[in-house]
Amino acid sequence: MSRMPPTPEQPDDVDDQYRRASALDPSRPGEAVSRTVLAYAAQLAAERAAAYAGNKLKSRRTASHAWWRPAILGTLAAAGLAGLLIAPQFLAPRAPPVAEPAPTAQAVDSTASESAPPQSAQTPEVTARPPVPVRSANLPTRATHARPKANGATAALPAQPTSVAPPAGSEAAGTGAFVAGAPARELRVPGSPSAVTSIAAAARIGTNPSAALRRAAEVGNLAALEALLEKQTDVDSRDGAGRTALMLATLHGQADAVTALLTHGADPNAADADGTTPLQAATAGDHQTIVAALRRYGAR
Amino acid sequence: MTDGGESDEALIGRYARGDAAAFELLYRRHEMRIWRYLERNVGNRATADELMQEVWFAVARDAVRYEPTARFTTWLFTIARNRMIDSNRMSRRQVSLEAVGYEAESVVAQLTTEPGVGPLAAVVARDQATALTRAIGQLAREQRDAFLLQIEGDLSIEEVATITRSSFETTKSRLRYARNRLRELLSEYA
Repeated sequence: MSRMPPTPEQPDDVDDQYRRASALDPSRPGEAVSRTVLAYAAQLAAERAAAYAGNKLKSRRTASHAWWRPAILGTLAAAGLAGLLIAPQFLAPRAPPVAEPAPTAQAVDSTASESAPPQSAQTPEVTARPPVPVRSANLPTRATHARPKANGATAALPAQPTSVAPPAGSEAAGTGAFVAGAPARELRVPGSPSAVTSIAAAARIGTNPSAALRRAAEVGNLAALEALLEKQTDVDSRDGAGRTALMLATLHGQADAVTALLTHGADPNAADADGTTPLQAATAGDHQTIVAALRRYGAR
Repeated sequence: MTDGGESDEALIGRYARGDAAAFELLYRRHEMRIWRYLERNVGNRATADELMQEVWFAVARDAVRYEPTARFTTWLFTIARNRMIDSNRMSRRQVSLEAVGYEAESVVAQLTTEPGVGPLAAVVARDQATALTRAIGQLAREQRDAFLLQIEGDLSIEEVATITRSSFETTKSRLRYARNRLRELLSEYA
């Protein structure tokens, strides 16, 4: 053995020779390899960036919502109930608005009857109970008694709009479309003299219009949203986390609802309890249309 | 390995969060090392290209699972080696470096036609390239693998042992024999 074997950890003349020769070696991977690899990596990166932004926003929401969760659940439950009852009405053709009735004993009675289920046409009329809805206009109802004559002057009537009976013999009278005190769903029949508005419906079921507004914004129900806004509902009312309807619409990507709210004067810079502004939320959620709309209305 | 810039581990972390530029930095930093490791082991440029692509696809795909418990280069060369072994298994044949001539001639031809390389330098480069490629091709497979891992990956004996699933002493012996054999072969070509 003429020489001691080199220790791999020490600099070695063979290593030096190898490196010198490698530096002179022009062979490289094919250009197509580099292009393919980098394109694939960029595609994965774009997907990850989107997922990462989404998770970040989600975790932030989760962390900031913990303390008010019971309150928001209650609010959402009430809003959901209201939505279930009133949403179908907005799908029907819009009827001319009816003036809000003055609170009278009759109105109270009529309102109370809203919760009663429809009964058969043979229900006895004159009883001490609240009036029950009937499907036939052939039988007189308490509602029809309450009014001098069903001549179409609905705006002057103090009772619930659903109490308006069509004139005997009219088209609606024989179709069963008119139902005094029936659930709102009954009023979707074409030709029905429906005059139920969202605010009236919301009032009847005891729902907070502001909560209903936020709920409508969140789910993007434009008909409900506009009806509530026309009734002067506070457009910047806040939920338990300090979120306005605009913020909720933004978080859920409801661009049309955002535009409607901004048009009705919603504050584009109303931050939630965490200090997050609608513009920040829209940017984090990559809702470009909403970002543009918010900027048009002065969001910072 | 940082090249004075951001560490490999930080770059792969950034890429896992969706930063494509971080991946390109990593790729440019290590592409030639991985390429030489693969090409000098398999002795075939087309196969090396294919493996190169697979290795970096795996890096891109598994970046989210990378945990900085080991150096990035250890992880990278482990992927490269595993891909190479899989490829050999698939082809059911071990490419003989001697049989394919190890592409030494083409390497030399490229060297001698490189612009800016003078006649004397070209001769020196040709001789060195020829000597080196032939010498590496004559190493035993395990020795060649260990040597290339260490010199291209800049890895310690422990890291080479981990990647090759060999004991420290075995790895150390392979490296010692590889260097001794290379020294002998290079002196013959000199």
